[in-house]
Amino acid sequence: MQFSVSSLERVQIRVVLDMDSNIQLLIYLIPTLIGMFLVLPTGRVIASSLEETLPSFATERGRVLSGLLLTCVAGFAVSIQTLWISSKVSEGGNFCASSTVFSCDDVIGNTAYNTDPIFGIPWGGIGAAVFCVLLYLAYSTSLEPNSTWVDNYLKLGTALTFGGFLVIGLLVSYEIQMEKICQYCTTAHIANVAAFIGFYRLMKLNESGEWNQES
Amino acid sequence: MKHIYDDEADVRTKAAIRVMSLFFVGLIIIAATTSPIATGTKAGERAPALEGKFYNGSGGWQTFNLESYWDSNWQEGDVSGQWVFLEFMDTDCPYCVRSAEDMSLNAADFDGSNPQWNGAIVNFMASATELDINGHDSSRAEIVAFRDKTADSGQSCAGSDCGSRPGSAHTFPYIDDLDQDNMKEWKVGGTPSYYLIQPDGIIAWSSSENPGEDSRDAILSLVTRESADTGGA
Repeated sequence: MQFSVSSLERVQIRVVLDMDSNIQLLIYLIPTLIGMFLVLPTGRVIASSLEETLPSFATERGRVLSGLLLTCVAGFAVSIQTLWISSKVSEGGNFCASSTVFSCDDVIGNTAYNTDPIFGIPWGGIGAAVFCVLLYLAYSTSLEPNSTWVDNYLKLGTALTFGGFLVIGLLVSYEIQMEKICQYCTTAHIANVAAFIGFYRLMKLNESGEWNQES
Repeated sequence: MKHIYDDEADVRTKAAIRVMSLFFVGLIIIAATTSPIATGTKAGERAPALEGKFYNGSGGWQTFNLESYWDSNWQEGDVSGQWVFLEFMDTDCPYCVRSAEDMSLNAADFDGSNPQWNGAIVNFMASATELDINGHDSSRAEIVAFRDKTADSGQSCAGSDCGSRPGSAHTFPYIDDLDQDNMKEWKVGGTPSYYLIQPDGIIAWSSSENPGEDSRDAILSLVTRESADTGGA
C-alpha cells in the first residue's frame, strides 16, 4: 500500500501556493499595524479626521476599542493561517519556504518546535484560540461598556496578553536556534503586543473615571 | 407594546456565540482545504528530520539532510521517484554486524546499478549510533572502518576487526549519530531498525511494525515497479 495526496488536493494546494506569501502576509500585517496605531495615543492623529464617518473614534475609549477589535481579528486570522501552513507543510507542500532568513515553512514545519511542549498543540491553534478569547473580551466590552463585569474583562485581557509575552519569548528563542524568522508568526506576536497595549490602556481609562468622557 | 426582545439577554452571550462561530469557521476552512499528515515513524506518517554529518567514501564528513531526498510532487506509481531505505545501526551491535551482508546485497540489487531490477531506485543509508551499553564504544573512525570494511584498521566492531565483518564494503552513506539525536528523534527502540520511505517522505514500511518480515521482501512488495508481473531482482 502506498500513501499519497489526491490530485484534487494537489490542485488546491497549487492554487494557494502560487500566490506570493509575502503579499498574503500584508492582508494580516496592515490591519494589525493600523490596530496598533489606534490603540496608541498617536491614534488620535488619524482618528480625528475620521470622526464624522466613524463616531466611535471621537472618544479615547472608542478609538482604543476599535483598534483592539481590529488587532484581535487580524491576530486570529494570521493564527489560523499559520495553522493552515503547518497542515500544508505536513502534506509536503511549500508555502513560504526560502533560502533567506525569512522562511516560515522552516519554522512552522519544524516538528521539534511547532507544537507546545506540554500538550503537543500547534502554536497556530493556540494563537487562534487565545485571540478568540481576547476578541470576546473586547467585543463584549464594546457592546456594553458600562457593565459591572467590564473591569474584570479588561484586567483579564491585560493579564492574558502579558502572559503572551512569555510565549513570544519562547518562540523567538526557537527562531534564534533555527536561525530563521517566520513572518506570519511575527505578525501574530505584533498583534499580541498591540492587544496588550489596548487592554492596558482601556483598564487604566476605566480606573481613571474618564471612561465615559465625550472626547 | 409587544415585547420582541429578551429582558434577560446578555451581550456576553451574543458576543460569545459570534466569536465562537468565527473560530469554528476558521477550523472548518482548514479542515476542508488541508489533509495534514502527522510526523512520525509509523507507516503513513511523514518521516521526521534526520540531519548531521555523513561519510560517503570520499570528501570526509559532509552535511547531511534527509529532507533533500524528498520530492513533494511524486505520485503513486511514478517509477522515477527515488525511495530511501534507512538503517539505524551501531557498529558494535552483533546483529548489525551480521546484517551488514544483507545490506550489501540489497543495496547492490536496488540502487539502480542492477539491470535486472525494473523498479524505482532505492537509496540506501545508515545512521550509525553508539548505544548506551557496556562495550559499545564507537567513533567516526570505527564507522568509516565498518562502512569501507577496512582490514587491520585497529577498529573493533562487536569484538572483531571491522574489516572482517560479513558482506562487501558498503557504497552508501553513513550518518554520524553517535550523540543519538536522530535515534531519539525517530524513537528507535533498538538496532538494527529499518525504514522504507516513499519518494515524498512518507514512511511505507518499518521493521518495528512488521516484526519477522524481511526488509528485502518489503522492498520487493512496496517499491514502485515498471510492471507488476515482473519477478524479483
